[in-house]
Amino acid sequence: MSMTLYHGEPNGPSFTVLAALFEKGIQAELVRIGLAEGARHELSCAQQAEVAMSVEGEGPVLVVGGEAMADSVFIACYLDDVGPGAPLRPANPYARWETMSWCRQMIERTAPAAAFLGCHAHPPKPSPALLAKIGSVDLRARWEMIGAGVFAEDKLADSKAKVAVAVEKIEAKLAGRDWLMGEFSIADLESYAWLAGMVKVVPEGFAGKRLTVSWMERLRGRPAVRKVLALARVADPAAYWAPGPEINRWG
Amino acid sequence: MSEVTLYHWEPNANSGKPMLALMEKGVPFDSHYLDLLNFDQHKPEYLSINPQGTIPAMKHGNLVLTESTAMMEYVDETFPGPKLMPDDPLDRWRIRWWMKFMDQWLAPSFSMIGWKVFVGPAVQSKDPEELKAAIERIPLPERRVAWRKAIYGLFGEDEMKESQRRVAVGIRMLEEALSKRAWLASNQYSLADANGFNLAYALPLSQPSLSNDELTPNILRWLRAIYARPATKACWALGRTSMVKRVTILEQPHIGREHVA
Repeated sequence: MSMTLYHGEPNGPSFTVLAALFEKGIQAELVRIGLAEGARHELSCAQQAEVAMSVEGEGPVLVVGGEAMADSVFIACYLDDVGPGAPLRPANPYARWETMSWCRQMIERTAPAAAFLGCHAHPPKPSPALLAKIGSVDLRARWEMIGAGVFAEDKLADSKAKVAVAVEKIEAKLAGRDWLMGEFSIADLESYAWLAGMVKVVPEGFAGKRLTVSWMERLRGRPAVRKVLALARVADPAAYWAPGPEINRWG
Repeated sequence: MSEVTLYHWEPNANSGKPMLALMEKGVPFDSHYLDLLNFDQHKPEYLSINPQGTIPAMKHGNLVLTESTAMMEYVDETFPGPKLMPDDPLDRWRIRWWMKFMDQWLAPSFSMIGWKVFVGPAVQSKDPEELKAAIERIPLPERRVAWRKAIYGLFGEDEMKESQRRVAVGIRMLEEALSKRAWLASNQYSLADANGFNLAYALPLSQPSLSNDELTPNILRWLRAIYARPATKACWALGRTSMVKRVTILEQPHIGREHVA
């Protein structure tokens, strides 16, 4: 079945999906879109519920046989199911649970913090005409806050703390192993995707985190990941951000 | 003693998700009821099982699992019984999309309303010092904030309005999805339906002006179809509070706008 992947620069959720695609050896038409200009909202599938209301915010979209799919971890699971390459999730159900559970904490706690800090350090430049097309009221509100430069100090501090907690978890997990779940998995891709750009934004969080730093280097050395990063058209793709998932409304 | 022990509160929201999945699969389990309103989930006995103090948690032999949606996938993959995830990878993607959308976007809005009208008032009569100490024992800072808001009625007007807006949007999305398929995310009953029922089982009672047989016929058809399943009946029979007894509204053959009064 033909596949088209609409993706941004290889950072955040676009990184996860591109890397899963290449790791699995799947052929797809790659179409680069300016996620940080709001270009996803002019795709013909933009108003489909699963794209318009994706919790992930401005992420890539994979179109397969007319169905538009969003949310990078689940697209990666799909690619893992259909592609010929080595599995991206462990075979053992408990280890699979741990992988999904890890990714859930990453997308729920770390991703909103990283996207908030990333957009603060490297504000995206939306086109007003495209913003008017955004179907989700709360996603549009996040764009507007970024456009107006509204970044509350307490949210910035809390986001930095959340990034530091994620790095600590990764550092602890990597004791005695090369990859987070033992075998290389989607958990490595998703964790790297959100944290690669945080090394310069929250340097204190990475200080002395030797295992995490070498895990990032190891990941960048994988042939599929090298291919992904070679797609970058900006000098530093880890500095390319668009609004991500919202910060938990409950606090 | 069963191989599986589930630590849960009411068949509602996160607790109800693995309860219903286990029941659908026909997996026997020891039910360990934690009284959320008595803060059982923050007591040392439970924290030794799940240090984060979130409900539910499941023990399978020596393995401990948390995160209710990932737990449901584990239940489906590990035990025999009817499959709750279809074989088609696209269906599996759609099921996961809907579960995340409900878990992270829609359910927090429902529960903000639920905590304001049910959980908060249910604990407010307790001794203030006891409540203060109970909040201090909560391991996760974000849960501490949530409990403080519920106990002291601190949910702001803006955030309640936003929650109500999201509930209305979510209801429209559910109705649209269910007008395309028999079940929420695939053509067979799946984890997305078990998840969704836990979120929406009392919808015609809690949101009568937004969900009823006239406005959202597909949601009502779907809720009744899930309620008719033996597993759902067995699961909701484990409920102890008036909150989950609301499910019996689904026994009414027609729920029109008039039931609002």
